[in-house]
Amino acid sequence: MRSRRSAFSWLVEKEARELVASRSWWVMLVAMGPLVGVSFIGAVRTYAEASGLNGTAAGVGEAFSPLVGVWAPTFSACEVAAAFLLPFVAIRLVSGDRQSGALKIELQHPMPPVARVGAKALVLLAAWMLAMAAPLLAIVLWRAYGGSLYPPELVTVEGGHVLNAGLAVSLAAATASLTEHPSTAAILTLSVTVGTWILNFIAAVQGGIWDRIAGYTPTAMVAEFQHGLVRLDVVLIALVLVGAGLAIAAVWMRLGVAVRRRASESIGVGAIAAAAIVACTFVTPSWDWSENRMNSFPRPDEEALKQIAGPLRIEAHLAPEDPRRADLERRALSKLRRALPRVQVQYVSATSIGLFEQTSAHYGEIWYELNGKRAMTRATTADSVLETIYDLAGVAAPPETDEIFRGHPLAVPPKGAAAVFYGIWPALGVAAAVFARRRTL
Amino acid sequence: MLQVSHLTKRYGHVTALGDVSFSIQPAEVLGLIGPNGSGKTTLFECLAGVLPADGGAVSRDGHVMSPAERSRAFFYLPDGVAPWPQQTVRWALAFADGFFGAAVDAAAHRVEGPDDGGIGDLVRVFDLEPLLDSRIGELSKGQRKRVLLAIGLLTPAPILLADEPFDGLDLKQTREIGSALRGFASSGRTLFLSIHQISDAARWCDRFILLSGGRVCGHGSLGEITGRTQTDTLEDAFLALT
Repeated sequence: MRSRRSAFSWLVEKEARELVASRSWWVMLVAMGPLVGVSFIGAVRTYAEASGLNGTAAGVGEAFSPLVGVWAPTFSACEVAAAFLLPFVAIRLVSGDRQSGALKIELQHPMPPVARVGAKALVLLAAWMLAMAAPLLAIVLWRAYGGSLYPPELVTVEGGHVLNAGLAVSLAAATASLTEHPSTAAILTLSVTVGTWILNFIAAVQGGIWDRIAGYTPTAMVAEFQHGLVRLDVVLIALVLVGAGLAIAAVWMRLGVAVRRRASESIGVGAIAAAAIVACTFVTPSWDWSENRMNSFPRPDEEALKQIAGPLRIEAHLAPEDPRRADLERRALSKLRRALPRVQVQYVSATSIGLFEQTSAHYGEIWYELNGKRAMTRATTADSVLETIYDLAGVAAPPETDEIFRGHPLAVPPKGAAAVFYGIWPALGVAAAVFARRRTL
Repeated sequence: MLQVSHLTKRYGHVTALGDVSFSIQPAEVLGLIGPNGSGKTTLFECLAGVLPADGGAVSRDGHVMSPAERSRAFFYLPDGVAPWPQQTVRWALAFADGFFGAAVDAAAHRVEGPDDGGIGDLVRVFDLEPLLDSRIGELSKGQRKRVLLAIGLLTPAPILLADEPFDGLDLKQTREIGSALRGFASSGRTLFLSIHQISDAARWCDRFILLSGGRVCGHGSLGEITGRTQTDTLEDAFLALT
């Protein structure tokens, strides 16, 4: 009597068994403990020292936000794992079939190639969720120390890292499917990762369109999630990239299709993905899930900005590497773009560092233009930017509120964390590996 | 009856298969004979659709088969592979039965073996009982070959393409498995076997395709080929034709 299970469920089981049988997966799982541990212990210690030095929780501001002080550094271990460990697990799962000859056998099932890649992606996603138990353990420890938790920002950070893992998996699956050998796939994957870092560097130096493109690299995406910011355009673009990577993997998995046709199909996938990405850049909704609203102006200011109808043009004479430009972006413009979608920002500079432009009379000027009226300041703080805009718009500045984030200082050392992450986690990982590999027999 | 017509495959300037045409009869054991590099594996891979052919067609009763129809008709067992090396033989057989059986059962393409063609019978026929809890990657070449044959026979495809099915088997195993394969053929399964040992081919096959340099240089039953070449044995006929 044949089983009634679907072929897809058989394939998912097979991928899960292959994952459990692969050493790379267990190495990643075991390594997650020390990786998270070193970040968490360092972050909690610094947080505790800073809390103890100040002695009071009043008015300490975002320095004592667990999101920035603890969770961003702790979860950065996931970013390292997604860049340097997860791709190898994914490559092993995709290339292993080709190396062993299993692919030639499995390909003879008339299953759509997308389903084959989907089964692998599902299993890899589940594997990543298991690996993310390490930072979740850090959350449990933090709570045990008496630390404050704000679930929306934690979910945002975790979501960002799941999305980042999706990008890593789809890239690795595409390269593993495209190439004959896992080593070539690994080199290609790491090249793309390094390429995105180079892109970030170019953006920092050149600014302009590079800056815009670099805003969608995995590093930039994760950084926003780590600050509790969810931008719909970033999420959609990441999903498009994940889909495109898996589609290319599916295209190249079909060994029985001529290479020329597979190449043209890949170009088609790339073109559709590029068009979708361009369309997504026009999507503006975003949500600030951080407890201290670090990505937003105070609510009264946001309400006041809503009264401004006309498009606001800002021309900042600041070079890409000028720290004032970074200040202006971080403190004011990134928040302004969220509150006032019809804002156009243009940077003007003759050089990348701006050092030799300081003598120029106009360097450092920030011009604002609204409804035909213009104003100029050199200040880069959020208050001065808002004040200039209110003056131009003829809108009364809202009264200051006492809506100040007081922070959650915690002067407690990371007791027991070293034992958990450097001892218990790796030991449990090794024991689970031995047990699981025996059970598959 | 299936008709393979003008099958062509080139690797750059090298022609691996040149205008290969032949027919496959139901429930026969067809032997593919040729020296190393003659295109036997390429022919099987093109038929099974795991390698793109540059030209040619496979038709059934005058109707050109689509790639999907071909993948339902053929199942190819590659030579020299160790699929799912970390998994046990027991699991691999269950997987092949469930994975391939789930899709095609409904299409009623399945052809049963000498008994009921289930896992238990194939384990007995191919003497796999002692290997069931061994990992596939740890098996010898001959043991792997027996497992692969069982996997192939668990699939519902009516035509099994087996690349070097006797390679790695000892004399006793070759005879037992050859006899079992004949049993499967008499139950309705068509077996297309690539064999480099001509004596094995002569013993187990009903008809032969002789391949040399990517071209069919002879085909037919033993009597037809030896008669045409005025030789006594298949080996002599093969030498005369290549």
